[in-house]
Formats: sequence, structure tokens, C-alpha cells
Amino acid sequence: MTPFDLPRLSRRQWWCAAAAALGSGPLHAQPTTAADQLLVGMSMNNLLSLDPAAATGLDALAVGCNLYDSLLETEAQEPARLMPALARVWDVRQSGRRLVFQLREDVRFASGKPLLAEHAAWSMQRVLKLNLAPASVWKSYGFTAARVHSDIQATDPFTLQIDLPQPTDPHLVLLTLATSMSALVLDRDVILANESRGDQGAAWLTTHAAGSGAFTLQTWRPKELLILRRQPAHWRGAARLQRVVMRHMTESQTLRLMLSRGDLDLASGLSAPDVKALSRRADLAVESVRRGNIYYVAVNARHPTFADERVRRAVLRHLIDFEGLTGSVLTSFGQAHQRPVPAGLPASLPSPGYRLDALQARQLLAEAGLANGFDTTIRVMAEAPFTAIATSLQATLGQAGIRARIQPGTGNQVYGAMRERKFEIIVGRGGGGAEAHPHSSLRALVYNPDNRDSAKLTNFQGWRTGHADPTLNALIEQALIEPDAQRQQALYQQAQQRVHETVGGMQAIAAVTDTHVVRREVQGYVGHPSGATRLRDVFKRAPA
Amino acid sequence: MKARSWLRGAAGIGTSLLCLLVLTFVIGRVMPLDPVLAIVGPDADRSTYEQVYRQLGLDQPLWVQFGRYLLSLAQGDLGQALLTGNPVTSDLLRVLPATAELATLALLIGVLLGVPLGVLAATHYGRWPDHLARVLGLLGHSTPVFWFGMMGLLVFYAWLGWAGGIGRIGLAFEGNVPTVTGLLTLDAIIAGDGAAWRSAMRHLLLPAAVLGLHTMAYLSRMTRSFMLAQLSQEYILTARVKGLTERQVVWGHAFRNIRVQLLTIVALAYGGLLEGAVLTETVFGWPGFGSYLTGSLLLGDMNAVMGSVLVIGVLFVSLNLLTDALYRVFDPRAAA
Repeated sequence: MTPFDLPRLSRRQWWCAAAAALGSGPLHAQPTTAADQLLVGMSMNNLLSLDPAAATGLDALAVGCNLYDSLLETEAQEPARLMPALARVWDVRQSGRRLVFQLREDVRFASGKPLLAEHAAWSMQRVLKLNLAPASVWKSYGFTAARVHSDIQATDPFTLQIDLPQPTDPHLVLLTLATSMSALVLDRDVILANESRGDQGAAWLTTHAAGSGAFTLQTWRPKELLILRRQPAHWRGAARLQRVVMRHMTESQTLRLMLSRGDLDLASGLSAPDVKALSRRADLAVESVRRGNIYYVAVNARHPTFADERVRRAVLRHLIDFEGLTGSVLTSFGQAHQRPVPAGLPASLPSPGYRLDALQARQLLAEAGLANGFDTTIRVMAEAPFTAIATSLQATLGQAGIRARIQPGTGNQVYGAMRERKFEIIVGRGGGGAEAHPHSSLRALVYNPDNRDSAKLTNFQGWRTGHADPTLNALIEQALIEPDAQRQQALYQQAQQRVHETVGGMQAIAAVTDTHVVRREVQGYVGHPSGATRLRDVFKRAPA
Repeated sequence: MKARSWLRGAAGIGTSLLCLLVLTFVIGRVMPLDPVLAIVGPDADRSTYEQVYRQLGLDQPLWVQFGRYLLSLAQGDLGQALLTGNPVTSDLLRVLPATAELATLALLIGVLLGVPLGVLAATHYGRWPDHLARVLGLLGHSTPVFWFGMMGLLVFYAWLGWAGGIGRIGLAFEGNVPTVTGLLTLDAIIAGDGAAWRSAMRHLLLPAAVLGLHTMAYLSRMTRSFMLAQLSQEYILTARVKGLTERQVVWGHAFRNIRVQLLTIVALAYGGLLEGAVLTETVFGWPGFGSYLTGSLLLGDMNAVMGSVLVIGVLFVSLNLLTDALYRVFDPRAAA
């Protein structure tokens, strides 16, 4: 007999074996989502580090704000309104150059140690010392690693004092403290106990957490799984959910199937057709959160073709199908918006009403000596909705004789080229907006104080597009330090008007919205525009 | 003499692995991907970018970077993965069992269905079982695994509710099974958690069946071809003339003689499955080796890519060695 000989069973024995296999329990068990767990499906592609001094992006903040506490918070429905958190009260002194925070005295880290003002100071000092991406916003306020110990300090166990190194709007700094991942307060002792080669715990914190938040980190397997477990001794009282389980899922179809089967409570990153299909179900709700950043089309004003303002005006103002894009391609990704400052702020202006007008564009191109159009390349991330925007743009550019080739790539390749100023046209997403303050967006999108290549102001999209307007820069700088709210508002409106009159290198198409599909049993989930969606009050009621 | 042959073999394997590493390193460095940007994000300022660039050692000449890598490798250190922040070794120890669990069951399905189907097709050459095997083979080969996966999910998960959904286990069970072997079905048994085991099995069966169908298609066609060659030999005619039953002729004579060839293709198929079934892993959200390698590659995470490539090389070498050893069991001439 060989190892490959088939077993000799009678016909009856074969039938019995088959029936046993089909009738066995494991194949028929039905899944249920536990009542005290929130089961989330989302893309974790942008979630590389959990260290508040290293992590970038909204996904990191969505996790971080549940693991750590911050001095202040903002309301999801009213993102410009500051709310107390670790800081019971705060005060702006010395003509807006000093911020003083009185901290709660009943807060403890998950390690059991009390949270003191010196921990808050150390956490912020650490951000400047490590000098990774989140340090950028603090450097823009004038903080430096060399002076941060004297600028940010604990004056007593529960009092934190921040001296602003240069004139700025203190409200903007307070908003940053309420919405930035880098402003979360860390358990210094736990982190330093895990320090390696003087890295201030950076390697350890990439995959661990040490905070005082409503949840602790149970499991974190990058690009696979993240589990938060409730911290029973949280100073606000224990969260209502026992666990939050987040799984890395990128396929819209599979998210849809799992939602339909009741194996997920909440999902993000679904395609427009899937959102539309799920919106018809009674057991699911579709919720959109409007972010501060935008989808845009950018051109390189240093490129010989786009150096001419008439060409930029033709492409950015008259050859984008704004209505078509927001009405179809962007339905679950964005809302119509054409200005750099987000809607809903006191300084926001109504839409300028740009629309597709190929005739006008052709006239402008003819005036610029390009009546026969030209050849160009659109760089774009190979994912939704960017490719669809680029395809639409390619078609509308063609209406004015511009022959555009689409060059898809990863985010790394597309934004890498933009940072090097080696592009012609880019379809992208970006632009600050985390703080509900006009400066946050204007600085990120159109401010460019030094247009030389050698300046390498790669964090400013204005520099990346190679367009600098001294008048606009002056307006933005002046508005930031204007103490009178009404005059400040007027200056920001002038800045937006200036952007409208002089065509720079970037045009907003739509404000970014994140669309979630949530089971109706989930209560208390309110997406935050800055990404700081806190889950401490979320719970699940029994299904009807 | 034997020792010299072993030494020669080991030197050959070492050289092959080194060449593989050199090639991967050079390709990785010329790819238009920037690992610094992956870490600092697209909006980082110049000083942050340059600081991380130096920290990663990218300011050093290529040969210095490669030399440092080899030095660490000699100490058993595959470096730190940018993608996960973990040592590459611990990442690989996590993702490999996930893929091994899937690939092994897929291979089992492929072999158990494919080999008998191939034999059946050969013994019924030109008749309906042969045509059926051809159709199944074509279906398995020509249908994209991505489509098969989606359809499988739609039918067996969404409609019938027989299969588990995405991932290795139901979300509600995640984090409840302590990792011992990394094979979730086995770990659930060790933990004595019946509900978790059922959930893990329900999640494993469908992706394994989808992969197994592809393997089955390949194995059945190859088995048929090997068997046809044997069945036309004179010794088969002699066996029949001697009055042996058809079962003895097919399984005892013809099949015995294709075992070595079959072993080679089964080993190759297993290597292919272990290397990473990226599309299947993507559709089923399976956190395996293929997903890890692809994610690392797209990020320009060269430590993770180099480590993964090295593992692939070692896997294939190990499978070859295992196959050579099994040749000696099945073929007395090889043992002599």
C-alpha cells in the first residue's frame, strides 16, 4: 500500500462521513457583535506611529485622543469653541504673549501616577527636541528646542505657563493645544523607563502608549489591528464601551459586506456607490464630517508654461468642472468649496462661483500665445477620488486644446515630486485646517515668505507651487497679530479676496469630508472635524 | 567526499542568498520611493526631513549602507521596519505563521482534490471525466483569484453565512487568544477557547479554498500529464496482461512512478503559496506575508523588504532540500 492509496470505505461509511462534516457546528456558528465592543473597519495605511511627537494625520489623532488627554478640547459641533479638559481654567496674559493653565488635581495616568503640570511641559518640550513632523506647528509659533525649557514650564505642580516667543494670535495657539496630536500629555516616567539610546522613548512609543486617556492600548499591530481597552479609573468616569477593536481594511466591497452582515459597527473609506447602497438600509446610518482641508488642483508656477498668470487662470479657474466633480465623483468625499479658508468661520467668504468655461479659457490661452494648447502631465495618487478628478480634469483641459497625460503614483511619489517642485499639475489633498482658524489654512496653502529654491519651505504648499505674493503674505502676517477680532476678520477676508484676484498655484475644488457608515445601535458617536473623535461616551443599545 | 559536497552545497546557497540581497538592495535604492517622506509625512519642513534622512543613514554611500546591513545581519539583526516600528524579525515571526496556516490548508485542499482529479482525467482520457477535469482546470487557472475571493465572500459569507468574513478571526474575538504558535486555529485549541476556534476556522476555510482551487487546477493538469506518460509505458501493459486489477495498475504502478515529479511541483506550489498570495490576502484582509511585503515595498521600507526577500530565499532553499530528502524515500535510485 502506498501513502497515496485511497481509504477503503463502504458507501454507507462515506455518506456518514460527509453528513458529519456538513453538520458539524463550526460551519454554522453565527457571528454577533458584542454589546460592549465597538467594531471598526478602516484603512490604517496612514497610521504608522502612535507617538504624539512623530505621528501625522487624522487617523493617528483619532487614536491618540482616546489614549491621552489634552489641556483643552473643542466641541465637534462647534470646533472654534474651547472646552476645559486637563486644564480647569486658562488665562491669556501680557498682551497675548503668556498663557497660563490651571490643571485638574484628580487626574492620574493609567500607570496610577498623578498627572502634573511638569508632565505637560515635558511632553511639549519632547516634541521640539525630537523635531519630527508635529514639531512644525510649534516652530511656526517661534518655539525652538534650545529655548523651550524656559518658554514652556510648570510654575507649580498644577500650573503650566507658556510664553509665546513671538507675537501671534493666542487663540490660534489654544486651538492647537486642543486639536494637535503633539499637545497630548504623556506619562514621562513610564516613557523614560523605556528610553533607548537617549531617544526619549521614541522607539517604544511608536507601538506603545502611556497616557491618561479614557482608553489604554491593548493591542497594536500596524496595518492589521488596534484594540483599545477602557481605563476604568479615568477621571471623567469609565468609558461606556469595554473595548474598541479597529481592523485595517481597505476594500470597500468587503467593508460593505461586513456592515451588511452585522460584523462591523462602523466603517470608513467606502466608495460612493457602496455608501449609496448602504444608505438605503434602515439599520445603518451614513454620517459625513467636514474637515478643514481641501481637495485641490495645483500647478507649478515655476514651470515656464504656468509662470504666465493667464495660463494659471485658464486652467485653475475655467477648466475645472467644479459642479460636475462635487455632484458625482466627490459625493462621499467632499463638499463644494473654492476658497482656501474653510466655510463656517467668522472670516469665511461666500463661494466666488468659479465654473467650467472652456471658451473663456481658450481666450486666455490665446492671449498667452498658446492658442493651440500645450502638452502637460497631471500627477495623481492612484486611488479614489484622485484618479477620477484627474480623469475629469484631463477631459476639460482637452476642451481648450491642452493635452494632458495622467501619471499615477503613490502618495510618496506624488507629494515627493511636489516637495521637489518637479511637477506640472497635481491633483491632491491637504492644507492645514486642523484648527478652526483662518491662519491654519492660509499658512498651509498660500503663504510663501521665500520663493527661492534654496529656501526649501517644503511644509508650505505655497512654496511647493512656486508662487509668492508679498501683498498676500503681509496680509496673512498682519492678521495673525491683529488683537481686534473685527479688524482681524476683515484682514482675513482681504487675504481671501487677494487670492481670488491674483491666481496663485493652487485652486480648491472641495472641502474634504470623511464619510462613515454606522450601525444604528451605536449611540453617541460624533465625528470631530479636526479628527479628535473621542469614544468615551459612545455606547451600543440593544438592536430593535 | 560527502563533507566536501555538503560544503559546496552550502557555499552555493550562501552565494545565491547574497546575490539576492545585493539585487534587492540595489533595486530598492533606485526605486522612486522616499522612505523619509513615509516617516515624516508630506508636510514636514526641511530640517525635520534632513534629520530623519541622516538618522536612516541615507546620507552614506550605497556600499557603506549595504555593508552596515550585512554586519547587522551577521549578528542576526534584520533591522527596524519603518512600516511598523518593530524589529523586522518580530514582524516576520508574526506574519509568516498567518500565511503558513493559510498556505498549508490551501495546499492540502489543492493536493487532495487536484491529484485524484488528474489521475481520474488520465485514466478516463478523452471521456467526460477528462473533459470535466479540463474545464475545472481552466476555471481555476483563468479566473482571477480576486474575483473568486469576492464571489466567495458574496455567496458563502454574505448570502449563506457559512464562512467567516474578513481577517483571521471575528472582530469580537480579536486579542482574546494568546499567541503561542502564531497559528490561530492551533492557539485557540491551546487556549481551550472553542468559540474562538470556530470563528478562526470559519475565517480560514474560504480563503484557503479559493487559493486551493488555483493549486488544484495546476496540480490536476500536471498529474494528468505525468500519468498519461506512464500509462502508455510497456510495463503498464505487462501489468494488465498479468491480470492485475485496474486499481493496482493505476495506483500501485503508474502513480508510484510519478511521485518524484509530483513532489517537485507540490513543493514549488507550496513555495509559491508561502511567498505570499497578495491578492487573496488583500480581499480577505489576511495579515500575512504577502501583504507585509507589498506594503513595505510601496513605502520604500527596505529593511522589511530585504528581510522578506531573505526569508523567501531561505524558504525556497529549505523546500528544495526537503524535496531532495524525500526523493531518496520515493526513489531508491536517488538514495543509492
